[in-house]
Amino acid sequence: MSLEKLLENPRVWRGSSQLDSRPGLASGYPKLDRCLPGGGWPLEALTEILIGQYGIGELRLLMPALAQLSSEETHAPHGDSGDYAEPGWIAWVAPPFQPYAPALQQCGIDLSRMLIVRPKDDSELLWSAEQALSSGTCAAVLLWPDKLDDQASRRLQLAAEKGHSWAIAFRPLAARQQPSAAALRLELQSTERGTRVHILKSRGGRPTVLDNLL
Amino acid sequence: MSRAWKSPVAARDTAPTPAAQQQLLPFAEPAPLVTPLSVTPTAVRRLWFCICLPNLPLEACRSSHEAFAIVEEQHGIHRVLQTDPKAAAAGVMRGQSANAALALLPALKLEERSPVREQQVLEALATWLERFSSFVSIAEKDVLLLEIAGSLRLFGGLPSLRQKISQGLSQQGFSAAMAIAPTPLAATWLARAGRRACIRVEENLAPALRKLPLACMNWPAGQRASLAGMGISTIGDCLRLPREGFARRFGVERLLELDRALGQLPDPRDSWRAAERFCADYEMTEEQSDRDLLLNICRELLSSHEQFLLARQLGTQRLCFSFFHLKSVATELYLGSALADRSAARWFDLLTIRFDTVRLPEPVIAVRLRSGLSQALQAETARLCFSSKGGSQKRRYSIAQLAERLIARIGNHSVNALGMVAEHRPEYAWNAQDPLSDWSSSTLTTQDGVRRPLWMLPKPTLLATDDGYPLHSGCRLTLLQGPERLETGWWDEQGISRDYYTAMNGAGIRLWIFRNRQRTPDWYLHGIFG
Repeated sequence: MSLEKLLENPRVWRGSSQLDSRPGLASGYPKLDRCLPGGGWPLEALTEILIGQYGIGELRLLMPALAQLSSEETHAPHGDSGDYAEPGWIAWVAPPFQPYAPALQQCGIDLSRMLIVRPKDDSELLWSAEQALSSGTCAAVLLWPDKLDDQASRRLQLAAEKGHSWAIAFRPLAARQQPSAAALRLELQSTERGTRVHILKSRGGRPTVLDNLL
Repeated sequence: MSRAWKSPVAARDTAPTPAAQQQLLPFAEPAPLVTPLSVTPTAVRRLWFCICLPNLPLEACRSSHEAFAIVEEQHGIHRVLQTDPKAAAAGVMRGQSANAALALLPALKLEERSPVREQQVLEALATWLERFSSFVSIAEKDVLLLEIAGSLRLFGGLPSLRQKISQGLSQQGFSAAMAIAPTPLAATWLARAGRRACIRVEENLAPALRKLPLACMNWPAGQRASLAGMGISTIGDCLRLPREGFARRFGVERLLELDRALGQLPDPRDSWRAAERFCADYEMTEEQSDRDLLLNICRELLSSHEQFLLARQLGTQRLCFSFFHLKSVATELYLGSALADRSAARWFDLLTIRFDTVRLPEPVIAVRLRSGLSQALQAETARLCFSSKGGSQKRRYSIAQLAERLIARIGNHSVNALGMVAEHRPEYAWNAQDPLSDWSSSTLTTQDGVRRPLWMLPKPTLLATDDGYPLHSGCRLTLLQGPERLETGWWDEQGISRDYYTAMNGAGIRLWIFRNRQRTPDWYLHGIFG
């Protein structure tokens, strides 16, 4: 057996393969970008954001990137020369409150690219998110699951890779102890000096704490 | 001999009929002469294609059962009308009583003849035949007529057209007798006589008709018997009879029929017009609850739906499946599509998603598919694709398709798009739009300056107060910004008068709160800045 053949085996993991990771999407927060391996949000992957309560700044953190995605003229999948000049859509799956259109517009988001999905239960939620991710039409899919086990997070990760889409799951702080297939896990905490972003896991990067980011 | 049957024009030229033939039917008074209107043969040459379905009662009954027979009630006794080959091999014959047939073959399945079902099958066939001609007519209960003079060029000549039709018929499981003639009646008679005739010019019509037996004309049995008693067995014999006497004995209608068949009288026919909306049923012989089987039936219905729309260049946005049960109310499934669509595969895809979530209260006995309003299909231009990669990573489907898949699974009101409304009241400044309709991508822009919260509560919630200060999760809120006064809405009686503030709670979360200025000066939470 040649060495090349051995290396082709998917079970062989090589640290160097993580280095040539694709460039990320600039988050709009240079301090955060510097800590992320691709210099920004890892697209085509699952990002988990752990929050203690809603409104802590989780949307503000994403808005610059989402605005960029929704207004981009071609969200061309990798390897394709942008045959379909269709900007990316942003799907909101089971948001806890109503995403407020005027505010989204103030953040520079193209409202005609929003799709709000309100599934009845968690299984429908995961199904919808998976559909949206793998459809190839959504640039980003935001989801608020009640529960997300290891297997479900892996499925989301795979769907995101398949559809060249960015999955963002918002989860409670308790999820910190659970294993997850996400490429990036952040924890948001509010402190007296502002919101602290704690990078718990970053594929190809290392855990960091960013104080006073937002 | 052929001179005796005169064309209407010729008949008047040589007025008196030969005396020798007068003697054949000696009537005292000269019968009222039925003179056909002098119609010159129309300039437009027509060609009629007749499809006669002698085995329709058998073929209309889609039974998967082997060895079955169609029975019909005659004088209170059920008698065998038609049998399938297996039953025929066992000796079951037409005219046997049902009991005799069952004695011969106990496994025989008997099915009552259903004229309604036969008519439905005939109509379905007529609809299918519309692809070959603009003029299809259901002539009798087992005869279909097509005017094909105008279609020959399109279908590459008569042999090719004939082959296409006969191939299509046998694919659908029909055994048909076909004939082509310049008049509809002649084509019908030729087909019924089992002649695979193809007569294209009128000159050849009379010689071909003369040889046909009387049986092919569907005249009443009594008349046929009396004609046979007179030694008349073919149409040619009939034509040799004097017109007056013939009309008197057998009725003017018979004489006119012969005239029409020969093309001496016009023979207008009703054109079949298929329904504009699709509605088809699939009835099962027994109740079924197997989901795969039901889905297969739906797939079959969808593909005939596709054919229906294809023939009209239409698409539809709504479909309704009804699953009928014996005892419960029918289960109905509505499917919607963003684009007018006819593709059976895409509808089937939506159906399978939807079907997963449906509970059928009991087994299903019949399935019906109805289509909603159809609309002209917008043709799409295919992309020119010169790239050698062949577009390896094409988008699997558009956002509209994604939306319709989501709606099919989780319901109509659970998926929406966002729009802006020119309103100053925060609740009304946006709206949820139906993602399946063409939603307007609003160009309305909000005034910059005052930030709005990203999260909006569905309804403002009352905040507790402490000495007039608003409380949130147990501690006093710090007002950061405000007030911003938003007022009135008198035109729809939903007026407001509020002072909005941005406030921060103890956990560092910024909230959008307001104080009502109308009645009691209460504090409400309306949004979270996120």
